[in-house]
Amino acid sequence: MTFDLQRIIESKRAWRRALAQRPVSEKLAMLDALRDRTRAIRAAASRLNVSSPARPEDGIKR
Amino acid sequence: MSIARVIRLINQMQTDGVVERYAIGGAVGATFYLEPVATLDVDIFVAFRQQPGEIITSPSPIFDYLTARGGIIEGEYIVIAGWPVQFLPPTSPLVEEALAKAVTVEVEGTPAQVFTAEHLAAIALQTGRAKDHARLLQFIEAAVLDTRRFQALLQRHGLVERWQAFERKFLQGES
Repeated sequence: MTFDLQRIIESKRAWRRALAQRPVSEKLAMLDALRDRTRAIRAAASRLNVSSPARPEDGIKR
Repeated sequence: MSIARVIRLINQMQTDGVVERYAIGGAVGATFYLEPVATLDVDIFVAFRQQPGEIITSPSPIFDYLTARGGIIEGEYIVIAGWPVQFLPPTSPLVEEALAKAVTVEVEGTPAQVFTAEHLAAIALQTGRAKDHARLLQFIEAAVLDTRRFQALLQRHGLVERWQAFERKFLQGES
């Protein structure tokens, strides 16, 4: 493992490309799971009375 | 909780004649072309079926149809299969065109109508919030846009200057 930022960025890009190429049904199932997770995080954040970790730039719509 | 169930129910609603045409937009639409990005709702653009003598089209038939099948109204959303779904009329010539030219994508044997990648990208440019810019950058990075079709869309809908500003701000120095 290295801290070569350029390699890290390229590896993240490659991972995103691989995700984008998965079958649509699989990606929609991921959206279902992501939504469950986001809701759970928000509920926990509101119980702790802190602002939600989700930011507009994360693509969270509500 | 399942978007696939939402799509099946919307298809059935179309078959039953409640809406003429629909297309998935927003973050869920983008997921057909890009990596999934967390979202909390589903945007469905619809061509409303106008009743005889009606001047203003109403979403009531959609809400009536879906509540009769277990949907729950929450403000401007209707919750189907655990997902808040928002039905939106086309509010600009660009979105009207996007709806007219939506493509059908098979999701495990179920047809889903979705905006083209070029229309989703142009709508993101037109809407112009931070998250829309982020989505547009995703489309560019993923290289899923047909450049000629995208440029033609920008010309047709008066978005060329906005695109140039976007390029200057976000794409300068990118190869």
